[in-house]
Amino acid sequence: MKTGRLIRVVAVMLGMACVASMASAQALNSGAQTIALNANLTESLTVALSASAVNFTLAAGSATNAGSTNITATTTWALKASRTAVAVDAYFASAAAALTDGAGDNIPSSAFFIADNGGASTALINTVAFGAANAGLQLANVPITAANRSGTRADVMAFNINLTGGTLPQLPAATYTGTLNIQAQATP
Amino acid sequence: MRLRRQFGTAAALALAAALLVASGTPARAQVLNSAASPIALRAVLSQSLTVTLSGNAVNFNLVSGSANNPGSTSITATTSWILQTPVAIVSLYAFFANAGSALTDGAGDNIPSADFQISDNGGAFTALTNTVPFGGANAGLTLGQTLILLNNRGSRTDVMKFNITLSPLPNLPAGDYTGTLTIQAQAI
Repeated sequence: MKTGRLIRVVAVMLGMACVASMASAQALNSGAQTIALNANLTESLTVALSASAVNFTLAAGSATNAGSTNITATTTWALKASRTAVAVDAYFASAAAALTDGAGDNIPSSAFFIADNGGASTALINTVAFGAANAGLQLANVPITAANRSGTRADVMAFNINLTGGTLPQLPAATYTGTLNIQAQATP
Repeated sequence: MRLRRQFGTAAALALAAALLVASGTPARAQVLNSAASPIALRAVLSQSLTVTLSGNAVNFNLVSGSANNPGSTSITATTSWILQTPVAIVSLYAFFANAGSALTDGAGDNIPSADFQISDNGGAFTALTNTVPFGGANAGLTLGQTLILLNNRGSRTDVMKFNITLSPLPNLPAGDYTGTLTIQAQAI
């Protein structure tokens, strides 16, 4: 009985000491320790293609020789604030010989057409940022603002070869091969 | 004549005795003490509260739009205290000076404290969105609190892992973002 009472008295005294201590205490602050933070968001600009080959079954002198498949180019970017535009270009290395049989018979870029995202079919006759002069087509030019410094766009390309122009109706039967490039550029 | 001689002898003895008494006085003098001059002694063991960090820099390689951009290293904060009060609470805080721009590229593009996260001692990642005794409003996080009860000397460690989420910032431009995270303790 005496022990219990003693414990209660000690507990009350301890509680009072706690309350008094807390009430009278002033905040004691440590010095401020700093951690330097460095975060780098690297610029990136990529183009991914849904496929990397298209076949054409040509008909001599025909304006309509569609590619075997459409290809989607997905352009993705994360850019600095100074960038103002992203262009997506399709181009050949040579305007005169977009496709060739290797024996001197060529299909020029002017006979190669791309319809981008269901738009009109357009020949690759422009000079773009890449490739040869008069051998390209700008598929898109996206203005970059604070709202889309990181972004993506898709270009669905449908292909056609027109064999009606110039001497192309006389193009010899053969297998013609070439390489079409798709590339993006952020400016300035 | 004989009487005169005897008187002279007695006088001589008396004079000798008087001289002997007089010459012996200094040897038996009382000590002379000054007044006591007290020196008050006061030894103070000051309260102390310190925070030390295992490192002072963290780097982040950001991926645009990604929720997971971990810091390059974890940092351990060791908080040590010697307190005068027997009862106290020691709290450790992490904070930025400004909630809106925890990190910035200096060109107006910012990462807010709400997108900066700390995992303390293996706990869940938590954004710095609270108002704590230090730093900007809504720019802090309480890392931990320790109740001091009758043991006013101690320490605690907090292992901090860091992450930046860019999910809420999909259009953050590429760039170098820097900031200062501060760690500070308070006893109250």
